[in-house]
Amino acid sequence: MPPFLTLTDLDKSFGEQTVLEDLSLEVAEGEVLVLLGPSGSGKTTLLRMIAGFERPDAGTIVVAGEEVTSEPPEKRNFGMVFQHYALFPHLSVEQNVAFGLESRRVPKDEIHRRVAELLPLVDLEGFEKRRVHEISGGQQQRVALARALAPDPRLLLLDEPLSNLDPTLRERTRRQLRRAIQQIGITALWVTHEQEEAFDVGDRVALLNEGRLEQVGSPEELYLEPRSRFVASFVGRASSLPGVMADDGRVLIGDNRFRGRGVRWPGVASGSFAPGDEVELMLRPQGLSLADRAAGEALEGTVLDRRYAGEATYYLIELEIGGELLVAALPDSSRVGARVAVVPRPEVSPARIFGRPRGDGS
Amino acid sequence: MRPEARRIAGYGVAALLTWLVGYPLLITLMEALGLPRGLSLEHFAEFARRPDEWQALWRSLWISAASVALAGAVGIPLAFVFARTEFPGRRILGALVALPVALPPLVGVIAFLFLYGESGFVSRGLQSLLGLEQAPWRLSGPAAILLVHAYSMYVYFYLFTRAGLARLDVAMLEASASLGAGRVATLFRVTLPLLTPALVGASLLTFMTSLASFSAPYIFGGGFRVMTTQIVASKLNGELSMAQVETVTLAILAFLGLWAMRRVDPGRSVVVGGTRGVAPSRRVLRRPLVKAGAATLGWGLALLLLLPHLTLLLISFVPPGTWTVEALPPVLDTSNYESLISTPERLRPVVNSVWMAIAATVGAVVLGLAAARLSLKLRGRLGGALETLLSIPWAVPGTVFAISLATAFSVNAPAMGRVVLVGTPWILPLAYLVRSLPLTGRSSLAGLRQLDPAVEEASASLGAGRWRTWRRVTLPLLRPAVAAGASLAFITALGDFVTSIVLYTYDTRPISIEILSSLRLQETGVAAVYGVLLMAVSATAFLVWGREERI
Repeated sequence: MPPFLTLTDLDKSFGEQTVLEDLSLEVAEGEVLVLLGPSGSGKTTLLRMIAGFERPDAGTIVVAGEEVTSEPPEKRNFGMVFQHYALFPHLSVEQNVAFGLESRRVPKDEIHRRVAELLPLVDLEGFEKRRVHEISGGQQQRVALARALAPDPRLLLLDEPLSNLDPTLRERTRRQLRRAIQQIGITALWVTHEQEEAFDVGDRVALLNEGRLEQVGSPEELYLEPRSRFVASFVGRASSLPGVMADDGRVLIGDNRFRGRGVRWPGVASGSFAPGDEVELMLRPQGLSLADRAAGEALEGTVLDRRYAGEATYYLIELEIGGELLVAALPDSSRVGARVAVVPRPEVSPARIFGRPRGDGS
Repeated sequence: MRPEARRIAGYGVAALLTWLVGYPLLITLMEALGLPRGLSLEHFAEFARRPDEWQALWRSLWISAASVALAGAVGIPLAFVFARTEFPGRRILGALVALPVALPPLVGVIAFLFLYGESGFVSRGLQSLLGLEQAPWRLSGPAAILLVHAYSMYVYFYLFTRAGLARLDVAMLEASASLGAGRVATLFRVTLPLLTPALVGASLLTFMTSLASFSAPYIFGGGFRVMTTQIVASKLNGELSMAQVETVTLAILAFLGLWAMRRVDPGRSVVVGGTRGVAPSRRVLRRPLVKAGAATLGWGLALLLLLPHLTLLLISFVPPGTWTVEALPPVLDTSNYESLISTPERLRPVVNSVWMAIAATVGAVVLGLAAARLSLKLRGRLGGALETLLSIPWAVPGTVFAISLATAFSVNAPAMGRVVLVGTPWILPLAYLVRSLPLTGRSSLAGLRQLDPAVEEASASLGAGRWRTWRRVTLPLLRPAVAAGASLAFITALGDFVTSIVLYTYDTRPISIEILSSLRLQETGVAAVYGVLLMAVSATAFLVWGREERI
């Protein structure tokens, strides 16, 4: 099946600043793709480009076989949910939802029918005549969704749709949005900077950094098989240790003149490395455990901080060889100030090996 | 709109504004310098040689300085009373005392004349009370001018001080008290220093308004000439070159004032460090005697301030020739109003003023909105230029504009962008339009700045084209701001006197000119009817403005 939305080699700069570089991406029909990235990574610019509010400097946008790169937004028939909703303050809930249908000159009773159909979908029956400033933030958010969906758009674009809600409301609204999108089966692009939100709503997640696409894949792929240091560190918690490739494919850590023989820890290499290459080992807290002292390939250190987070307890270990590691363990495993040893648990979460940029050694 | 098209539109509007706002001033400057015949400072030298010119200049400056002091002396305490104490009727009086700012200056001036003038209520009352042969005083000269200025310009101090006090963080006053400062020490060491930017802003505004003031010096000045009246006198005497030099001089003073105002931003500086504090609460007066005292003072003051306008209303009901030596008018009826409606010659100025004000307002709204929109969309140097062009007429005294327009549009040279408009019905609406531009432009800018750009994008993403987005989304959201600007523009144009007196013709004479000629003909009742008319329309528009502003 050909992809529904195809972005090819998109470039965009504002003045001197490059916002997007050489970005290509495909989205299947009915898929929910999340654009994830830190602020300034270009995700909102990408979404606005797809919506038609920004023109790419180069590259094409094709939807359902039709190129729309230079079509004005009003001709694209995409629905958009804005970060601050952008509801029309002078219109009622009903009039907001009907706006897109009126633009398309849909007959009156058809508009009425469609509005009556959409409001229950977003739990807003009975709110038809309310002004938008008379309803709560969560309700405004759902009006924005209903308004975007009313004209039956080909594609739904959501720009940080939950960022304006308080945390307790955010989770519930997230569920409601996801359910409504699934029910309709519409193809959607959802922008967020929160990893948890991205993993919850996205069939696939596209991770952006400094205008480049770092990795696209299912949440599991991003978490378990990150393709770069950035992905590994942005998605979930991770600590990193510098090391050198050993002959047996493991990574030699802490082996230098001053501190004597180091340890050899296993890892999955992303890329091919030769023995002696300077690398970096990325470790998930679950991929490490606290051990009794002096076990074979263990790194020794002191517990600097202990944080209880319900599902696990995180210990921040300051290593004797320098550097810090975050380890997930049982609540009673250790205490702050205790001397401990850390060993890898590759069977739970294997460490990943990335190349180290020159000059970044320790 | 595509960026290229928008840029072209931006240059087009900038060119139009330059032609209307900047070009007449430039031509006046060039002609004052003897161009195009040859550059010479001859006219300026002549200006410098004449002692009466120096005198007018000096008088303009000291009258303005004294007006600042007097307006501050009335406005600042008034603001403290209304901001800090609670007494019955405070809210409505608080709004009423701001009213004089919306009334055409000429109306205030003639109201004063009817109240305190030689044959006004107060002087007649005193005369009959004391059994005097003559009126106890003559309302003329600098004292009369200052009285009117203080009376109409205290509003600036009142409004600026109240705004400043409303934004003052109560925590600062509490901090001062907790550090051992008493009420007086807190006032002088905390409150007033924090209000300084607002007070400086009000002072400059008052100074500039006073510098540009024309009605009061014209009616009360007699031989006491300030720059504005000197300019008009030179023009009427046919000394156009001298009028131009005087105009240039006054314009330079005004631009200096504008430059100073730009350096003080009264809006921002009251709150130090950007904390949003809680304004001090009003002191509820508990002791009955104090309460009654404050209420009496408040009401008394408001009555005093509104008395001239009540007088005007009363005079409008006095039939011609019935009130001679009595202390109070013996007969009251509606004959003046009837004659206004039944006499075409008397109705004519009303019709003139209304159509010219409507035309000017529509033009100023369209042009102001377009320039504001383009200025915000284009940003950069062109956007900044558009914004500056919009604000220039605000700083330039009306007399200066009148002379400039009279200079620029009395010559037929289409290639130079000059056509003859003086003497045609179009010069006055054009002058009103230019003078109203800052009002409509500023309110459009304010409205557009509050507009969330995402709202227009939302409309586009819902399939609405540019026109539909403009009509269904942008315009409805801008309506309050545009209505506010338009109502102020309409008031200004309807009551204009200062540009009209230079540019009117008999056929296009506006209300203000007719008031003046009625006064000359001793038809005080008719003059009062016109004044009441202007007052009623202005007050209504002011209330519309006030309501829309609060949305």
